Parts: sequence; C-alpha cells; structure tokens
Amino acid sequence: MLTVFFITVAALQAQVDISGFVRTYEGAKVKDGDFSIVQQTVNLNFEKRGEKVAFKANPMLYYYNTDSLVFRMREVYMDMYFKNFDLRVGKQQIVWGKADGVFITDIVSPLNLTEFLLPDFDEIRIGVLAAKFDYYLGNSTIEAIWKPVFTPNELPAPGSIWAVQPDFPAPPTFDWSKSKVDYNLGNGSYYLKFSTMTSNIDFDVMGAYTWDASPTMHVEKHFAFDTTTMPPTPVLTGLTVTPEYHRLWVGGGSFSTEIAGFILRGEAAYYNGKYFQTTDPKAQDALVKKDYLNYVVGLDFNVGGVKLSGQFIQKLILDYEDGITEDKNASMGTFLAHYDALRETLHLELFSYVGITTPNALIRPKISYDFDDSFNILLGGNIFVGDRDGWFGQYQDNTMVYMKIKYSF
Amino acid sequence: MKTTIIKTTILAAAMAMAGHGISRAQQLTGRDIVEKAYNLPQGNDRTSILTMTLVNNNGSTRVRKIKQFYRDFGTVEKNIMFFLSPADVKNTSFMNWSYDSDKPDDQWIYLPALKKVKRISSDSKSDYFMGSDFTYDDLGDRKLDADVHKLLREETVDGIPCYVVESIPKDEDYMYSKTITWIRKENFVGLKKEFYDEDGELLKSLSIKEVKKIDGFWIITHSEMHNVQNGHTTIIKLTDVKINTGVPASMFTERMMMRGI
Repeated sequence: MLTVFFITVAALQAQVDISGFVRTYEGAKVKDGDFSIVQQTVNLNFEKRGEKVAFKANPMLYYYNTDSLVFRMREVYMDMYFKNFDLRVGKQQIVWGKADGVFITDIVSPLNLTEFLLPDFDEIRIGVLAAKFDYYLGNSTIEAIWKPVFTPNELPAPGSIWAVQPDFPAPPTFDWSKSKVDYNLGNGSYYLKFSTMTSNIDFDVMGAYTWDASPTMHVEKHFAFDTTTMPPTPVLTGLTVTPEYHRLWVGGGSFSTEIAGFILRGEAAYYNGKYFQTTDPKAQDALVKKDYLNYVVGLDFNVGGVKLSGQFIQKLILDYEDGITEDKNASMGTFLAHYDALRETLHLELFSYVGITTPNALIRPKISYDFDDSFNILLGGNIFVGDRDGWFGQYQDNTMVYMKIKYSF
Repeated sequence: MKTTIIKTTILAAAMAMAGHGISRAQQLTGRDIVEKAYNLPQGNDRTSILTMTLVNNNGSTRVRKIKQFYRDFGTVEKNIMFFLSPADVKNTSFMNWSYDSDKPDDQWIYLPALKKVKRISSDSKSDYFMGSDFTYDDLGDRKLDADVHKLLREETVDGIPCYVVESIPKDEDYMYSKTITWIRKENFVGLKKEFYDEDGELLKSLSIKEVKKIDGFWIITHSEMHNVQNGHTTIIKLTDVKINTGVPASMFTERMMMRGI
C-alpha cells in the first residue's frame, strides 16, 4: 500500500499520466450458493513517454473477501527508443503468437492459474523480469529476450476450489528441496523471434531455450515385501514426490492472413524434452521424456454484425509409449461470438472451450453495458460441463454466475 | 473499429477543389462530379486530432478522441489512429492500408489489454464506426464505381448554388437504397448529403458545418451526421491539422501500433 502511495505521489509531482480502473467482482457457485470469489481490485497505470525514453509502472491491489490483500506489481519497466531498435528492461508482460485463449508459442510470460483460466487475459499473464531487444527492418522485427530469473506458473493453493489433488496409488510425501530454480546467471531463459507484417500475410518464427513453467513430479516408490506369500511379493507402501523444473527447447511460429473476408490464423510449436508421467514400472521416477507438437488453426469472420471466431487446437506426443498418463493426441476447440448493440454500449458475448478428445467444456456467456464511457457492469456465467476426467469437466461443481462492475479512469 | 476516417474527413476537401476549370454543368455527369472529387490532391501526408461526439436522442453525450496519421505511398494509402480517450480504449491503435487496386484493405488493431497486434477483416464496410452514426463507407472507403451516379438537378440552398447528385448502389443488398449529395457549384465543396434506407425512407442527413483551407488544401473540420429515425447525432471535429510535414514510413508499422504516441 505504501509503495502504491509513494508511486502515486511521485507520479503526480512528475506529471506522469495516470490511468487505471477500480473493479468489484463477485461470483457464486450455482450448486451451493457459496461465493467462489469476492474481489475488489485497484489497477493503476503510471506512464511517461518521451521521444527517446519511457517508463511504465502498473501496480495492482487485490482485496479478497474481507481480510486478504494481495499486491502485485504487474509491470514496471523502462523503454529506450533508438532509430532502428528499442530496448525494454524490467518486469514486463510479453505476448507472442496469433492464437486466442491458448498458449502455443506464447511462452515468455508464465500464467497465473490460481483462478484457473477465468481472469482476463491481461491478468492471467505474470510479468517477468526481462531485457527485450527489438530490431526493426521495415515492417519486420527481430526480437531477442533474455529472462535472467525463472518465474513458474502460479498454481491454485491447496484448499482452493481450483486446486486439483493428484490421484496417487499410495500416500505421498513431498520433497520440496528441488522445487526452486536458483537465481543464477546460468539459469536464464532465451527467446528469439522474427516477425513480419505484409499486405498479404503476417507471420513469425520463434525459438526458445527456456524452462517448463510447470514442475515435473519425480515420483520415487517405496516398497515393502509381503512375506505371507511365497515368494514374498513387493507391496507399494508410499511415494516420495519431488517437484522439479526442467529445461525445454521450443521452436515454432504463427501466421495470420485474410481470405475473402475471413481471417485465417495458425500457430504451432515443437517442444523438445518434456517430461510426462507414466505408469510404466520400469520408468525412472515414473517419468518419460518426450517431444510434443502443439498447434492451433483459427478462423475469424463477421455475420450480420456478429463477430465469430473458431479455433481447433491439438497436442501430439511424439514417439508415444503406452503408460503415459496423457493421451497421445488431445484435441479441443474454442468458439467466440460477440455482438455490440445500442451504439456499442451493450455487449453480448459467448466464449467456450470445448474438449474433443475428452468431451467436456467451459462455456462463458456474458453481457455487459456501458453506463457511460468510464462505467461498465458485466453479468456472466462460467459453466463447466462434461466428463469429470476432462480439464473443464473436473470443475463441474464450480459452475458459477458472477458480476463485475468497473470504473475506468 | 476500423478504417480510414482521415481519408473521409477530407472528402469535402476533394469536392471543394474538383470544380476548378469547369464552367458548364451540362458538361458534367454525376459520375464526373464524384470522380473529380475523389481524385483531387489531398497532400501526401496528414496528421490531425479527431474528436467525435455521440449525442443520444435524450441529449446525453459521449466523446472519443483520436490522433491520426495518413500518408499516400502511391499505390497504397496508409492510416494509423491512436485512441486517446475515453479511458477504456486509451492506447488502442488501429492501422489501415488501402490500395488503389481492387485488393481489399488490410487492417490491424492493437488492444493494450491483449498486448498484441491482430489482423482484422475489412469486410464490414456497413458497420458503424465506434458506435457513431458514420459507417466505414460513410467515412470514405466507398469506391467510386460501387454506385451509379446521376446529376439530378441544380438548385440553390441557403443562397449557395449546388449540384444535386443521386448515387444508387450497384449492390441491391447494400444498406442504403440511395444517397443524394449537394455539392457547391462554385468550388465543389460538399454541403450536405442524405442517406435513404432499404425501404427508400430518409435515414440520415450529413451536414458540413465548417471547411477550412489548411496548407493549401480544403479540409472539413466540422461535420454532423443526424439519424432522423432514432434521433442520434454524431459530431466530428478535426483540429491540429498538418499537411505535408513528412510523416515517416516508420509511423505505419507494428512497432508504432504497440508503442503508441
């Protein structure tokens, strides 16, 4: 709080542009009426831009329920502008790729998954400490990023309605000794992208030497021998689970083009060296290392003033082995319909993730109205349906309705 | 949110200068008048601040402010807009590349919340721009030969001699059944325009309230579109207009869309 106060005072004195919003967000589960979220948010943007330099600081305060205050410095960085290149240094959100709502080549900023995929996408990404260098050649850009400090995805806390308890065959003991990546120059991540914008097509190619943003669970099995049988048989008595982060090589690209009024988008990435859980008893730590391919194809178009968008997403594990706890091929789709009415003051939207391999879905209808240019009220629902083994179906009991009221300034 | 508002706000400028050297109306067809208006020089580049005020039938207003840049590259005209207000669209930017050929426009939008530039379709010319009473076509993207133009008559309005040109779209499904434009005979400055809906009823009326000569070019600096069917009005004012200042090609890039101004 003090930090925000002092930033605000300093900003006012330095004639810095201040903008942001105040928002109240309440949601309740349909099943039992329990509040799934009670959140008050203050978002502040401090910006000052000159011809050669600029800075931005974006502190956010989240006040949960009636007793929990969370402060996040979502971004704080400085820009330096040169004739043919720019440099941005500091904590920043970096977004790559052409896909909407899925993360294929968009791997620089990790995700805050503490409320699953429900927050707005600018809030779901975590700012990362990085130096970003952009070199410009006409309508093309070479972007190089050095991320000296590893930042993992944030997962739901135990006890959260979004926390998923892994199903272990024996009582687990967790060893957290390897669950952090040391702050060390050798542990940096490196990203490189070439992108271009032309009259026919926009495309980019990227490569990264990074970390898997989610921890790998190394599982050591403990056995005892049942001597009542002859010969004695091993019996699983316990597990030691050691979460550990591992390196990944990633290469990929994306494109976007217009064909007869339709925007065709595509994005793909090849991930090298990902650990997957396996039930193979011979596998060390119950893990197997494989490469996988993740891609998306999408189409955007308008019908009668309604903006429509659909995406097909597939993940393919290469050189697949029986026992891997994920499907060899996993497919899903997204669908978006958006309509603005009453001079763009009333907004109707339906967005959904639909699992294809495992039939389950998250359906997100919402309606919002701008009372004036700074004041908006939104009513919505998050409906989880389908197979309880699915990524969305597992949250069936969390189906909710919610309301957001937002004042922007 | 898309298109070339800059180009359109200068439509009257084109009309203003189209008539030099024309002495007799009978030598001009409706198409001739519109074509000359479309083809007049408008400067190689422009910058301006556009303020759009949306007035509801109950008198309540909403204001949008945009900084815009334009440059003619010969075979392609490029526009870029930076939204200054209201707060919820601040730092949004929009870029349009419009081609002399039949190639559809290329359009991109940068939404600061998404932190990425998205290519969007330029297919919906009949959509209203930012909740205003102007469609994208109204703002100047409409092609000359998308309509059949006919000089209806000559008449005097408020003491100003005008040509009255009727334009009927070749596409029968177009949102307007026809438009009628009053153009000053003396200098071809547009004076007003009426838009008729699919049933032939008057839908909207555009009035040019102010035209200024800036750096040698006629620029519409104040226009008002009134929807007679729902009572809404949109007022567009152009300020800080600068022409041929040498807007660099690097202004019309993804870099600038994301950086802003």
